[in-house]
Amino acid sequence: MNLDPKIPSGPLESKWSSYLRDVKLVSPNNKRKYKVIVVGTGLAGASAAASLAELGYNVLTFCIQDSARRAHSIAAQGGINAAKNYQNDGDSVWRLFYDTIKGGDYRSREANVYRLAENSNHIIDQAVAQGVPFGREYGGLLDNRSFGGAQVSRTFYSRGQTGQQLLLGAYQAMMKEVHSGKIKDYPRQEMLDLVVIDGKARGIITRDLVSGDIKRWEADAVVLCTGGYGNVFYLSTNAKNSNATAAWRCHKRGAVFANPCFVQIHPTCIPVSGDYQSKLTLMSESLRNDGRVWVPRNKGDKRPPNEIPEDERYYYLEERYPSFGNLVPRDVASRSAKLVTDDGLGVGETGLAVYLDFRDAIKRDSREVIEAKYGNLFDMYQNITDENPYEVPMRIFPAVHYTMGGLWVDYNLMSNIPGLFVTGEANYSDHGANRLGASALMQGLSDGYFIIPYTIGDYFAGEKLEKVSTDHEAFSEAADSVSKLIDKLLSVNGEKTIIEFHRELGKIMWDKVGISRSKEGLESAIEEIRKLRDEFWQNVRVPGEKNYFNKYLEFAFRVADYFELAELMAIDALDRNESCGCHLRDEYQTDEGEAIRNDKDYAFVSAWEYLGVNGKLETKLHKEPLNFEFVELKQRSYK
Amino acid sequence: MSEMTINLKIWRQKNTDDPGRFEDYKLGGVNEHMSFLEMLDVLNEDLIKKGDDPVEFDYDCREGICGSCNMVINGKAHGPKHKTAACQLHMRTYSDGDTIVIEPPRAAAFPVIRDLVVDRTAFDRIIEAGGYISVKTGAAPEANLIPVEQEVSNQAFDYATCIGCGACVAACPNSSASLFTGAKIAHLNRLPQGKPERARRTIAMVDQMEKEGFGDCSNYAECEAVCPVGISIASIAEMRREYMKAIF
Amino acid sequence: MPSLLEAFQSQVGRKILTGITGFLLVFFIIFHLAGNLAIFGEPDAMNSYSHFLHQLGPLLWLARIGLLLIFVIHAWIGISIWLKKRKARPVDYKVYSTKGGPSKQSLSSRSMAFTGVVLLVFVVFHINTFALGDMADTQLANGTVVHDIKTLVIDTFQNPFYAFGYTFVMILLGAHLGHGIWSAFTSLTLRSKKASAVIYSIGVIAAILLAVGFLFIPLYIYFGGGCEAALIQCN
Repeated sequence: MNLDPKIPSGPLESKWSSYLRDVKLVSPNNKRKYKVIVVGTGLAGASAAASLAELGYNVLTFCIQDSARRAHSIAAQGGINAAKNYQNDGDSVWRLFYDTIKGGDYRSREANVYRLAENSNHIIDQAVAQGVPFGREYGGLLDNRSFGGAQVSRTFYSRGQTGQQLLLGAYQAMMKEVHSGKIKDYPRQEMLDLVVIDGKARGIITRDLVSGDIKRWEADAVVLCTGGYGNVFYLSTNAKNSNATAAWRCHKRGAVFANPCFVQIHPTCIPVSGDYQSKLTLMSESLRNDGRVWVPRNKGDKRPPNEIPEDERYYYLEERYPSFGNLVPRDVASRSAKLVTDDGLGVGETGLAVYLDFRDAIKRDSREVIEAKYGNLFDMYQNITDENPYEVPMRIFPAVHYTMGGLWVDYNLMSNIPGLFVTGEANYSDHGANRLGASALMQGLSDGYFIIPYTIGDYFAGEKLEKVSTDHEAFSEAADSVSKLIDKLLSVNGEKTIIEFHRELGKIMWDKVGISRSKEGLESAIEEIRKLRDEFWQNVRVPGEKNYFNKYLEFAFRVADYFELAELMAIDALDRNESCGCHLRDEYQTDEGEAIRNDKDYAFVSAWEYLGVNGKLETKLHKEPLNFEFVELKQRSYK
Repeated sequence: MSEMTINLKIWRQKNTDDPGRFEDYKLGGVNEHMSFLEMLDVLNEDLIKKGDDPVEFDYDCREGICGSCNMVINGKAHGPKHKTAACQLHMRTYSDGDTIVIEPPRAAAFPVIRDLVVDRTAFDRIIEAGGYISVKTGAAPEANLIPVEQEVSNQAFDYATCIGCGACVAACPNSSASLFTGAKIAHLNRLPQGKPERARRTIAMVDQMEKEGFGDCSNYAECEAVCPVGISIASIAEMRREYMKAIF
Repeated sequence: MPSLLEAFQSQVGRKILTGITGFLLVFFIIFHLAGNLAIFGEPDAMNSYSHFLHQLGPLLWLARIGLLLIFVIHAWIGISIWLKKRKARPVDYKVYSTKGGPSKQSLSSRSMAFTGVVLLVFVVFHINTFALGDMADTQLANGTVVHDIKTLVIDTFQNPFYAFGYTFVMILLGAHLGHGIWSAFTSLTLRSKKASAVIYSIGVIAAILLAVGFLFIPLYIYFGGGCEAALIQCN
């Protein structure tokens, strides 16, 4: 298999502009002859759908929620990066590019990341024009805040609800095109298979989540914007319905899956309180601007936090990383939290938490200032934990948050299946082994507003696409296989519920494929996943019927896919004999617990080809080498 | 940690055409730190193990921002706490032995799909009618070209923060969607970017709201009381003023 | 763009009309109360005021027709809103209660349709009693012969049925205005969350003052014995 990234030649700064100069175009009259399916309506999907429809393409959008506006992009709190340099603090496209590629621990493509940084400024312009109410200064101009992994203030924000505001902007742009008739919007439809005809993506199979009908949809291209797979871990900050099924089905149809083991564990989440816990809630990383992270210096210090004197507090991030302090990147913060709790210094009932303390910030800036910045986050924390963070330090702990891995795409954001484009969190492209804060929103919108509209035209102009009908045998085969799988799930009628299986799978993944991984752990994880998967197919109980609204049937389908994806994640983690970004292998770290990267052997994208599941997952590794022409690979240091 | 037993009376309805009925359940082992929806998850696990159909309800983010959940708990949309979505309600609000009645939001414009799940696409159609600024991708000017007074921007945010859950409709004695519609109009019409389309937007959205079969607003302000993000009915007044400006 | 006629049939248009007509009716009520209070003035005050109004001739008719129109529009919209709410929620809640806080749900707001309809019936009855009632002629101090509305009022409220009936209806008027004044202000003027509470208080106080103003007269006449009462001077 040839994984050609199709990166334009020339200097880094002019790759994208020379691409745009040479890109093949589709004339306005011809655009209306093409039909594009967009699956998922988060930032990536809604922005792509709106932009493609504006160009004149006929777009069909699908989402699993009851409205396109509810995609999980809506929950992003902190902000979106852009290289505007409004603060005059030395920011530039180059610096945003450099911070992002360094933050990703040099496991992403230079060309993609540079293009992302270039597009960042247009995104802010676009969002403001759509009416997104970003935070502003008294003079009426846009304000910025700082985020982890950067020494400039380049993050634009709408209080603690930046994702919501950007998504509503994109959703509204999309609804504008629904109004114009160029988009047909189909909520409560879940994509359960990809239809490939003559080697090209030509349609999808969905289940109508209200009626249970299996439906066939044909198109000239499919854009997959279905988000990440963090819910493999059962507990994560993802929404309950976020899932990997659409991406995994494409993988099973031939799309290679890149870097599946790169999972970001977010350092500031509210700790688990009990077995019934259904999800974890993130506290925005922006809190680390003013909050100080610490644990008691002495093991077993059970005093209430406010009674622990200053010299008995271990501000471990500030001590270990003096130049970045509490603003180290997410992977470093998460790993440090694990180190101190592994040492028995953790706080709270479970010992699996550290303090995030605003005492000094309140003393310095007043409670009002802190309230204005983080009021809604503090309210949310208090509501969930019943503790007042203005008076008692927050308790936080890392949680699965974002998956950098995803379907492999080239520079055009097209997978190795022609006509299947993948954008946003669903692809693997821009964040390498670790994503910096406030970069997910940037990537989703850059892909949807400013990349797909060009690259899809280039694809159409260069391909001859015959008309296909949904009666084609490929559609029948896909629809039948989906129906059979649903029947199989419903017919097991075992003893254990879907949630019980999912929770067990999540525990294996968190313990052995989580913040730190080891050879032994990963090998035993693979065994356990296989065993549990076999048990799942023997003993799961899926309630109800297929011909009506049945959420547990939806979950069963998704969990069945997680069982295969989980194994691939562990296989990939086992294969990558280095520590990089979020991927920490116990065998590859310094005595101080810092990651040791191996650029000589592992500066590549691991791209896995699906061969089948037969007791175990059969898979084949392909490597896309990462060539760094413009940045020098350094050991990442935030000291 | 105290564990409670809760008596539940939940609306069960197989589909839109089924008349529906209440079913009683007794659920033990409820932990005070559970969220309300986690309590329902636990109930459903019990039901599945017994071979019964679980209770269907909409949810997604469970952080109070996606707007999926919207159930009426003891007669109040999203339950008893102000500025709190049902997913952010915790069982510590209740005591051992309490009876909780759970119903779907009831409105002709929100037909029941199953149990507590309703169809809220009417809201999408209201936005589709005009709840946007017509700027094509790529056509935007430099972001700092047009300064926006901080106060205006803050007010716009206060209205833009609507999560589209439909609690306003559920709680309104008239089933009016005025808070939802007014909030979007108040958000977009006050921004310089939104002004060119304000008249058309206001009239189109008001018109669509009417077509969807929502009731009239009688200024009960119950919508503001149940709104999980506390949107003020000042948005409804603003919608009316904008409407007046638009027609004259 | 809708025509004005279409616009005022929309939900928002209807509510604006309700607010405007409501305000106008409140103004009318204030003038009406001022006229009523003339009963406590000079012996001739009430009858000369009534005579002055009658003298206006066509203007009075114009005012009457205008008032009727405003009243009918206000009532018509109110009733249509009430009818529509049943359609907008065909299945009712088993349990329903207000969440309190900023909510303005109260007996007053929930009974607007009821109090409105009672007031509608009352107005017909009221016009029949006082505007079309049998009145003797009397002579003012300046010699002008006028209808003796004052005596009719005093005689009427000697009757407990009238005195208490009116009192009851005026309490309902107060209830109607308690939500109504706030609602009209809100429909037309509200700009911020903070202003909401202030406007509500103003509305309630105004409603109480108006209601007390109106119901004071029948009760005072009934318990004070009409012309025997200290504050009322008869000829």
